[in-house]
Amino acid sequence: MARRTGLWSVALLIAMVAPALAHHSFAVYDHTRTVTLSGTVTRFQWTNPHGFIEMDVTQSDGTVKHYSVELTSINMMQRVGWRSNMIKAGDKVRVVMAPLLSGDPVGLGLEVVLADGKTMSLPVPAIGSFKRTDTQE
Amino acid sequence: MRGVRGAVLLAAVCGSIVVASLHVITAQSSVPDITGSWLRQGFTVGVRPTGQPSPTPPPPAPPPPLKPSYLKEWQDRVQAIREADAKGQPLANNAVACLPDGMPGMMTAVFPMEILQSRGQITIIEEAYTQVRRILMDRPQKSLDDIEPGFYGHSVGRWQGDTLIVDTIGVKESVRYQNVPHSKDMRISERMRLVAPDTLWNEITIDDPTVFEKPWTFTFAYQRMKDYTLLEYICEDNREYSDAQGRQQIRITPPSR
Repeated sequence: MARRTGLWSVALLIAMVAPALAHHSFAVYDHTRTVTLSGTVTRFQWTNPHGFIEMDVTQSDGTVKHYSVELTSINMMQRVGWRSNMIKAGDKVRVVMAPLLSGDPVGLGLEVVLADGKTMSLPVPAIGSFKRTDTQE
Repeated sequence: MRGVRGAVLLAAVCGSIVVASLHVITAQSSVPDITGSWLRQGFTVGVRPTGQPSPTPPPPAPPPPLKPSYLKEWQDRVQAIREADAKGQPLANNAVACLPDGMPGMMTAVFPMEILQSRGQITIIEEAYTQVRRILMDRPQKSLDDIEPGFYGHSVGRWQGDTLIVDTIGVKESVRYQNVPHSKDMRISERMRLVAPDTLWNEITIDDPTVFEKPWTFTFAYQRMKDYTLLEYICEDNREYSDAQGRQQIRITPPSR
């Protein structure tokens, strides 16, 4: 499945100049950097208004840190090819996320490499406003 | 003689009824077919409209022509939102509470929208929050006193040639579009028309002499999405909540189930 986020993000950036749909704000997420997490899914939450990937990431010192990765609306995700059965507990995934400014282990998912190696994007509105630095965490 | 006259009269009356009925049937069959799924032009995320191409969309909405004191209230709110966003501590809004947009916000159709034409009613369903509004056709509008204020108000409509004209009153004062204040007397007029085979324009006019200097008019354009069935949308787990200062906060721990 070809990633189409690049094309659509431009259209959305233009369209979202005057926000139309009342939505909780992504302003809580860092727009200046992204982190890459490699870990094991503990839960794939398939819900509106947004899904979540819960995952455990083993740190360099051997401890396990738990992260919650917020996704977009599962309706938008379905429209770009996502299905609820693409991720399940136990899957080893790699996630690129924009972290919460607060420093809590939570972020806005921008891209996921699934257990089978396929890369899926999240149709985040104005995704181009998030600077990709992809620092491995 | 009376019998023949009576028979002729009866025949004439029956004939008139038949002719009148044919006119009604013809009129109904000439009503535009706007049944189906629609998507706001410019808000296509991963889906392409599948009908015929659309003309250039209408210009964006002008700012609301609010009276000075209401304008200041609105501008202050918009400014407060911008400043909170810039600090990374956004203010909570209805979406944090999983509340739908109501009218006229649901007609922005940033998620697909479905229009269903049935006898005496046009029903519009917006995928986001699974919002439903009913337009009662060819009936007089109710008096505001007879309407319980709500998110969608009470809508009546009629066809005028190729244009669907809708009148809506009874939207709760707390239900605001783009944070614009309004009174209980706000009236929303819509004129919907196919400008191309698969393009529907909705010219919306918000009338509220209490808060506006003059009516506020803007137009939304929708493109037909053939073979698209709306998905459900239940605001099931937001994880956000509004704190005591009205700021949006996120609940870190996932739900237990």
